[in-house]
Amino acid sequence: MATRRAFLKLAGAAGLAAPSLASAQGPGRVVVVGGGFGGATAARALKQLDPKLAVTLVEPNPVYMACPFSNSVLANLREIAQQQFRYDGIKGTGVTVAETSATAVDAAARTVTLANGTQLSWDRLVLSPGIDFDWGAIPGYDEAAAQKMPHAWKAGAQTTLLRQQLQDMKDGGLVVMSSPANPFRCPPGPYERAGLIAYWLSIWKPKSKLLLLDSKDTFSKQRLFQDGWAQLYPGTIEWVPLSKGGKVTSVDPATRTLVTEFGSHKADVANVIPPQKAGAIAARAGVTDRTGWCPVEPVAFESTLQRGIHVLGDAAIMGAMPKSAFAANAQAKVCAAAIVELLAGRAPQQPLLINTCYSLLAADYGISIAGVYRPDKGLLAEVPGAGGVSALSAVGGLRGQEALYASSWFRTITAETFG
Amino acid sequence: MGRLLLPALALALLSGGPAQAADSPPGASSCTGCHAPMKVTDSVIPRIAGRKAADIVNFMREYRSGAWPSSVMGRIAKGFNDPEIDAIAAWFAAQPE
Repeated sequence: MATRRAFLKLAGAAGLAAPSLASAQGPGRVVVVGGGFGGATAARALKQLDPKLAVTLVEPNPVYMACPFSNSVLANLREIAQQQFRYDGIKGTGVTVAETSATAVDAAARTVTLANGTQLSWDRLVLSPGIDFDWGAIPGYDEAAAQKMPHAWKAGAQTTLLRQQLQDMKDGGLVVMSSPANPFRCPPGPYERAGLIAYWLSIWKPKSKLLLLDSKDTFSKQRLFQDGWAQLYPGTIEWVPLSKGGKVTSVDPATRTLVTEFGSHKADVANVIPPQKAGAIAARAGVTDRTGWCPVEPVAFESTLQRGIHVLGDAAIMGAMPKSAFAANAQAKVCAAAIVELLAGRAPQQPLLINTCYSLLAADYGISIAGVYRPDKGLLAEVPGAGGVSALSAVGGLRGQEALYASSWFRTITAETFG
Repeated sequence: MGRLLLPALALALLSGGPAQAADSPPGASSCTGCHAPMKVTDSVIPRIAGRKAADIVNFMREYRSGAWPSSVMGRIAKGFNDPEIDAIAAWFAAQPE
């Protein structure tokens, strides 16, 4: 049985190990801002790795709306309720959940100010704020326009709004989507969406067409998507690349018109996926560069602009690793382990990370892209020879198998993240 | 200060200190994005926690060489060398099933 003296001796040893812990308030305080796949995973993992840490998760929404599989909601394959996750499981692990937003960060004083006026001190801060939209990027497209031409790029009310517009559209209508230049959240997402809308149209509005205006000339899993569209929905989807005038230069929400350098397109249903940047708190914390995203080192994902602040997920510049839920979750676990080491005064290990992204083209038609990443020259780089996309010719029910893996992945990652 | 620390320390000692995951080898923490660390209903992706290390090593090598066909695991296994696979396999084998 340990004596009080033994406890105190241990406490002293723990305190000596890391100078940053020499505070009277506790053995290590970590504040995590943002309760998505990055932040929620980080908060849980930190507490699991070192139960002595005081971990606070700052997240204003009581219910998280997951973006993966939200395209299936548009196609009526799922209900929006299946995208919702609460924080009760995280609270049960000993993480303090502050149901408010972070309004300011003082990197020098190591504090974060919350909307309710509270100020939290931290030894390490984790920012996982996801994305914000760059509302000025497409003239005419602002928050009011998004009520008429939904982006549906943050799941929730926008998802159900776009689905309602599709359901209200006449058969024979024209759906126009626009996809932004790189980088943006979920690189295969616009193309999964186009395929799943085409899937739904093929059943309910078979005379309708979908025009996908793109600010890029190439995209993720391109050959697989285009082969699948041609096979499943011949003649339904027309993809217009940048070089053929795909870049949307302005929109008119009153007439649902999208203007490109080559002409204009009047839509019956318009889905504008606008250019993006790191969530607003990142800029306020001083961790964004002029791209609007957050440069980090590739081992603990600590900001290269502000010491002590780590950035995860979509908001960060992660080298070759894409902005995906899988990536944010994987980065969060690496970051949590690294923070435990840093707080103990030890150097974190060189990590290896995996990303796998599934996309659906129909309920039973899935494809994937995978990659393995390690630090190289200050960035996360792909391990050569690994990764890549699903086989171009599917044998043995491969596409159906990958659709099953996709839904299994979603159940697993949401269970690991939210409990 | 002591009064605040004591419950936390007691908890740490009871649970054997920082959880074993703290020293998981490079790459291992990514696996649980698909291979659930807890029981998940309705998943067709097998759990690997508590499986024999030799079995995990064999699967990874066969996925990597293509000897065992796969949808995605071959692409992932190609990113890991033998020592990395051995370490990950040993770590998952030591986790509760």
